[in-house]
Amino acid sequence: MRRSAYTWRTFGLELLLLVVAVVFFVPFYVAAAISLKSASDVYSKPLAFPSNPDFSGYRTAWHGNASSSLGHSLVNSIVITGASVVGLVVIGSLAAYALARRPSRMSTLLYVLFLLGLIVPFQLGIVPLYVALRHLHLNQQYGGMILLYIGLLMPLSVFLYTGFIRALPRDYEEASYVDGASSLRTFLRIVFPLLRPVTGTVIVLSAILIWNDFFTQLIFLSGSRQQTLPVAIYSFVGEYVSQWNQIFAAVIISILPILAFYVVAQRQLIRGFAGGVKG
Amino acid sequence: MAGVVFRAVGKVYPDGNRALSGLDLAVADGELMVLVGPSGCGKSTALRMVAGLEEVTEGEIAIGERTVNRVPPQQRDVAMVFQNYALYPHLSVYDNIAYPLRSRGVPRGEIRARVERTAAAMGLGDLLRRKPRTLSGGQRQRVAMARAMVREPQAFLMDEPLSNLDAKLRVQMRAEIARLQHDLAVTMLYVTHDQVEAMTMGDRIAALRKGVLQQLGTARQLYDEPVNLFVATFIGSPAMNLLRARVSAGGPSLRLTVGEQTLDVEAGRWASVRRYDGAVVALGVRPEHCQPPRTVEPTWPRLRGRVRLVETLGAEELVHLDIEGEPVLADEVLEVVEDADASMVQSLHQGAEERRVPVVARFPTEEAPAPESLIEVALRPDRLHLFDLATGAAIH
Amino acid sequence: MTAPAREKVRLPRLRHRSPVSWLLVVPALALLLAVHFAPQVFGGWYAFTDWNGIDISPRWVGVDNFRRLFDDDASRTAFYNTLKLAGSMVVLVNVLGLALALSLDRQLKTRHFLRALFFAPVVMSPLAVSFIWQYVFDFNGGLNRLLAWIGLDGWTRPWLGDPGWALWTILVVLVWQYSGLAMIIYLAGLQSIPEELYEASAVDGASTWFMFRTLTLPLLAPAVTINATLMLIFGLRVFDQVLGLTGGGPVNASETLATQVWKQTFQNGQYGYGAALALVLAALIATLAITQALVLRRREVA
Repeated sequence: MRRSAYTWRTFGLELLLLVVAVVFFVPFYVAAAISLKSASDVYSKPLAFPSNPDFSGYRTAWHGNASSSLGHSLVNSIVITGASVVGLVVIGSLAAYALARRPSRMSTLLYVLFLLGLIVPFQLGIVPLYVALRHLHLNQQYGGMILLYIGLLMPLSVFLYTGFIRALPRDYEEASYVDGASSLRTFLRIVFPLLRPVTGTVIVLSAILIWNDFFTQLIFLSGSRQQTLPVAIYSFVGEYVSQWNQIFAAVIISILPILAFYVVAQRQLIRGFAGGVKG
Repeated sequence: MAGVVFRAVGKVYPDGNRALSGLDLAVADGELMVLVGPSGCGKSTALRMVAGLEEVTEGEIAIGERTVNRVPPQQRDVAMVFQNYALYPHLSVYDNIAYPLRSRGVPRGEIRARVERTAAAMGLGDLLRRKPRTLSGGQRQRVAMARAMVREPQAFLMDEPLSNLDAKLRVQMRAEIARLQHDLAVTMLYVTHDQVEAMTMGDRIAALRKGVLQQLGTARQLYDEPVNLFVATFIGSPAMNLLRARVSAGGPSLRLTVGEQTLDVEAGRWASVRRYDGAVVALGVRPEHCQPPRTVEPTWPRLRGRVRLVETLGAEELVHLDIEGEPVLADEVLEVVEDADASMVQSLHQGAEERRVPVVARFPTEEAPAPESLIEVALRPDRLHLFDLATGAAIH
Repeated sequence: MTAPAREKVRLPRLRHRSPVSWLLVVPALALLLAVHFAPQVFGGWYAFTDWNGIDISPRWVGVDNFRRLFDDDASRTAFYNTLKLAGSMVVLVNVLGLALALSLDRQLKTRHFLRALFFAPVVMSPLAVSFIWQYVFDFNGGLNRLLAWIGLDGWTRPWLGDPGWALWTILVVLVWQYSGLAMIIYLAGLQSIPEELYEASAVDGASTWFMFRTLTLPLLAPAVTINATLMLIFGLRVFDQVLGLTGGGPVNASETLATQVWKQTFQNGQYGYGAALALVLAALIATLAITQALVLRRREVA
């Protein structure tokens, strides 16, 4: 970072940035304020925070009705995201281990294949996937979505893990093999614990990508009991058009988890994004 | 061309750390001044303040006639060569050298002429199209120098430019830089932690320790007349031998007691030594002034000791012997010793306990003694130094 | 004696018969093929049919779907919109991201706070934030009220309801959401430039602008490539924001290829046509992103 002295100019810049930051975040303030207003107040005095907050919007949103209950969809999102992330970590790291530790033309080829998966957009396959899952009756089921996400994000997981494993010294593994352990055992007991940093990155990146994903979830889970948060929000908003206080209550509920996660883990998150993207 | 002047210059960092105090130094126009000292002594800080890369918190710095405290680096008309060369990695050698000219809007044709001339002078003619990462350490060093030279600035600032090169290259480049400075008659401020470099290159040397100037003078002056224990130990390799000695000053002769042995010398040289009568001082004598008694005048005072090790250097012998007595364990001495060879500090402390002082003598090849033998070493009387143990200052 | 013997045992073991089993790759590979590649091949095939998802077998229609893309109003608009959005996003997000990074790359007191703040939109659900922005841009919503309040009545307009403005309003939200990502990538790039180079540059007489032009920008080239490629891909794939802000309207004015894929396939039952649109989208992403990356890579330095 530039070690220049903290002059008046720097102060002015900092002030300017803070103003920009405020502008960046005014919409959130407004949303929070409006979510706590009663239906009639919505259009009056948008900038003022309500003196007696009305939480009815939140209640409606949480319990919802037949078509969309945010509380329920939150659970769905958690299940799907959690399971997918676990799958990505386990399957991805295993595959990366094999690719990184068996230098051969075959593994280079496979690695390139995974990289291709990273570059090529998946939209093209969405229709066949939909049809296939429907055939298998995995449509609108946890299992189907989880498998889908693990597959879609596998290139990312493998890419991150392979790079990291390649840089690890082999000594401990070699000792383990000499002692007669199988590769799986060696991996689980020796290598995986060393992968903590990159596992952190994989978890953080994929969790956010899956949690926020809308396109795929809309296509596969729309209208079902397993619908996730983004889909629930979408249909909720569709129902309560222009009832901003309701809508914002729902929106605020939906972004609170991520926001909380962000406040806690933002350094790790930022590092993860910067590092992950640099590949 | 212009001289550089430090007037009571000091540097304190915002966190309270003081890097430099009360530096008064005048570098004459066309002089090669070396700033030397152990790491952390403030030499680099002083240099960077001349460049404008560090703010001057106390005092004034003048380049030529003008005080430059408030002048930004861009306008000071000095050139700097960094320890790691700081070459622009994305530019070719040609573009690197041309950079300072381009930043000033010098016309294309003139840039070409000057860059090619400077590159040729530094032996870089063939490398102009190459990128820094493809060059060797020595070549990069030359590019850094060429970049500094092409501007014909008022002063050159060199921040340990040779410390990343191997020994042989260093010796070669040292001579080249000195020659260059002499031919161009440019004012040069040269920072190094290597005292050999300082001694061979500088017109004058400024020895610093902990932000304070210890001594300013020619190499000869610092070597023959060190003003304190620090300079005495820092300059010269192998370092000056130091022993604790009790003073008995009555009449024209001076008696120094080291362990059980006594040395009688003429008091004339040290006018104020009477004040130390009965006190313990540090006695210093350089290895080359410790000779076998057989080869010198019989009037030279002598000390006995047991030979520990004899190193054959070809042209002479380095005799390491232990003399019964106490070593000097002053802070400034220990710091320098530790910098040079950390294990020596341990053996000095051990020596203190066992009442023996390690001493090095340079004997002619024919006089090499056998290890473990008990020998006598004659000390050249007019090259003995006495230091006050409380202040470290030389006794005159 | 034992040490050398052990070494002899170790090396051949790893070279001739690696203990790492190939089985470890199988699950990942299976999923990759099943979820990524196989469907894409099928998708490519569907694109040339007029399947409606219900009939037993799709009927080959050659390039009819593609011709229809440019005949159909909604799809044609979507195609050009996608390009416009992506192109603008690349430029604007990078400029804003770079500006933010340059500003934050110094000893500010609120440095970490600001960095976290500007990056926050990146991790939020694009759909959720789009709804918030929908309010802001609503005709009776935040922005217009603000303009009226400070006396700029003449500037109010139906941001989302005007076919001329809808797309650009979406662009604002996109830039807001992704500038933070560009910013942290640029910050990482800036921090990898050694301070010493700036010092040398200063002593060499470079003004701040000259330093930026000749030192900072060239050394940031890799970050520029990453950001440009990333934003291009994000821009081409825009979906959530469109649905959240305008739903594609008014009158298809803000449709994108991604929204069209969804609508045609799942709302109109035009599986074949939808696949064709998806194929065009995929082709666009692949060719544009790779081309841009190659071009930028060439201008990258050291």
